Amino acid sequence: MSTPAPALALRDVSKRFGAVQALDRSSITVRAGTVHALLGENGAGKSTLMRIAFGLARPDDGEIQVRGTRCAFASAADAGAAGLGMVHQHFMLVPALTVAENVALGGRGRFAAAAVAERIRAIGEETGLRLEPDAEAGTLPVSAQQRLEIVKALARGASVLILDEPTAVLAPTEARELLAWVRRWATGERAAVLITHHLDEALAVADDVTVLRRGVTVLARPVAAVPRQAIIGGMLGEGELHAGAAPLVHLEEPARGAPLVPPGAAAPAGRRPVLSIHEASVVDARGVVRLAGATCEIAGGEIVGVAAIEGSGQAELLRLLSGRLAPTSGTVSIPDEVAFVPADRQRDALVLDFTLVENMALRGAGAARGRVPWKAMANETALALEQFDIRGAGRQAPARSLSGGNQQKFVLARELSGAPAALVAENPTRGLDIRATADVLARVRAARSAGLAVVVYSEDLDEVLALADRVLVVHQGRVRAMAPDREAVGRAMLGAQ
Amino acid sequence: MSDALTALLEGSVRTATPLAFAALGEVVAERSGVINIGLEGAIIAGALGGLLAAGAGGVVAGFAGAIVAGVAVAAVFAAFTIALRVDQIITGTGITLLSLGLTGAIYRAAYGTGGAALGTPTIGPAPVPGLSALPWVGPALFAQPVTTYVVMILAPATWWWMYRTHDGLALRACGENPEAAEAAGIRASRLQAAAVLWGGALGGLAGGTLVLAQAGTFAEGMSAGRGFIAIAIVVLGRWHPIGVIVAGLLFGAANSVQFLFQAMGWQAPYQLFLATPYVLTLVALATVRSQGVAPAALGRPRRDTA
Repeated sequence: MSTPAPALALRDVSKRFGAVQALDRSSITVRAGTVHALLGENGAGKSTLMRIAFGLARPDDGEIQVRGTRCAFASAADAGAAGLGMVHQHFMLVPALTVAENVALGGRGRFAAAAVAERIRAIGEETGLRLEPDAEAGTLPVSAQQRLEIVKALARGASVLILDEPTAVLAPTEARELLAWVRRWATGERAAVLITHHLDEALAVADDVTVLRRGVTVLARPVAAVPRQAIIGGMLGEGELHAGAAPLVHLEEPARGAPLVPPGAAAPAGRRPVLSIHEASVVDARGVVRLAGATCEIAGGEIVGVAAIEGSGQAELLRLLSGRLAPTSGTVSIPDEVAFVPADRQRDALVLDFTLVENMALRGAGAARGRVPWKAMANETALALEQFDIRGAGRQAPARSLSGGNQQKFVLARELSGAPAALVAENPTRGLDIRATADVLARVRAARSAGLAVVVYSEDLDEVLALADRVLVVHQGRVRAMAPDREAVGRAMLGAQ
Repeated sequence: MSDALTALLEGSVRTATPLAFAALGEVVAERSGVINIGLEGAIIAGALGGLLAAGAGGVVAGFAGAIVAGVAVAAVFAAFTIALRVDQIITGTGITLLSLGLTGAIYRAAYGTGGAALGTPTIGPAPVPGLSALPWVGPALFAQPVTTYVVMILAPATWWWMYRTHDGLALRACGENPEAAEAAGIRASRLQAAAVLWGGALGGLAGGTLVLAQAGTFAEGMSAGRGFIAIAIVVLGRWHPIGVIVAGLLFGAANSVQFLFQAMGWQAPYQLFLATPYVLTLVALATVRSQGVAPAALGRPRRDTA
């Protein structure tokens, strides 16, 4: 039996960005008919390697082969013509255009909307990825936007799909559906590359695994032939495995039902609440009631987890508790300064082109007046970098130059640097790798130990339950306090009694 | 009264023609994500280019000269904003000021310091047989110089190109999310540069129309803010080629009405009437809700990818 040429192969690819060697002779071989997991911590070079495969970056050295033919891509269009398709972590959609227009983007000549719509329907029939061609892309839910990204690639005849952190934006059930779809799709000549740092989801569907660490391929094997511990070792580096083991184990087996403070539906007795809202409602600009008569109290020294499915009103609840939003009716009683970590750190927490010192100075900037004490800010930034173990960047580095995990740690550090009485965090571990997640969660727990009133929302219910002393469930704008019992919380999130 | 109305309509369309040229070019540039505040510069350059070229080679050469001058000014803008990624507003303002000064200097150098009115051949009205005899709208729409007919064809053609071709789709995508356009294999910078040059060509043509189809002469600063009015027309027309034509006509009407007011001999300083189109510009910019309609990436300098 002769071995067929791999669907996609990158050999000894190197890439340097300024002083950073992002890739150092790294390789990956994706066999036809397989799902290939590309694993590594944040900043390991996974995305860079795949951007090179897709023609979005040019390698300094090394070669790309598609089905045995050596290729040099000058642009994404070249890579598309060779049968590659990429779904980016941050979607590359034009929100103002329709589904059909997004699919047609990049074509030549006359644009016939009807023919494109027909093609979208045909792909929907064939693959189960159904979309309404005339819908405006920006109005679609996230899971449908992702479907659109995949359909875009398929419409261009992609037979190798590269998916960059595809499940990061999805709810758990949606993530499972997507992975199952990838598994079903990648047969015959087709192949899929799954860039992820979710070890378990990768192992669940992948045939082969390649692990990158600091730009070097440290492992490339069939999944069946490699023990799980070896993959973790490869991702974290053998020598550091021991140090990283504790938070890792903790993450995989969340300490369910073992919080430091005994669980209870009411605020801990005898303690004055730090944050309290009473019968607070929020009505948005379109007149939609986002939050209806919410009442809750959070005391110092406890972590209150917020559990909700996307869009239930939890975003508004968190913003009320952190003073970022005024209620339409009802009362909110919170301290002057509440640390707030929003879900989208790049959009809502940082000015990416500002230096870290400038970003530090943005804390409480709305209320601040007069001169900025730059010297104090610089010292505070240095202290934050040190205390939160944010390496690889100086105080004057732009926030953009930090990895996602370090950006998040910096946001936490900034928000906590003013010695606030409360911390409100929204999805604080989204998109972070194992180690950064463990770091962030440890910081959240440390805030509780320091006596802060802590409120944490996470899309990952297990993370909420692992952290929380009590849980607030938000469903259709209504808030209910309950004990961190997985089944009861899960049912309440979905609106069951 | 019917005569007055016919004259008013005819005047509206005539004044609207150069505005519509400039605005139809600007709408293409803006849908690609580039706001060319230097449009005023392209118009005045087109006016002078038209005069010089017409003097040398007749009216047709004059229009060609106008286009070349407009493209040249737009090329400077494109080089700074797209290749060098300098701020679009600052560059555009600088180019407008430079063009106003430079055209004046060239004009004086070529025709002496007197700046005396200098005649140039113009194209006269070319009535369309039959249609021009229609009551009221006939003279307004179908007894105009050829340039007006070109605008009338250009607007739906621009619409068709923008919404029915892949290039038009790519243009709109660049204005909304250039990163996504790049990811789809579109050379966003090149497309934006082309859009700006096209905008410059039409801006030049607007200037050429002023000189060669209307005034029959050049005066320093004769663009008189039409570039800025055209940008307001784009906003009022909600970044849509057909909307731009309608908005252009509205501005043309405002201009004609102010002449009418003056002719009526009302006891008010005539400057008040002269200000009508500019007041309308301000009102348009202040009242039209542009959010959600304006290209999302309009005026945003692009970062390097990868």
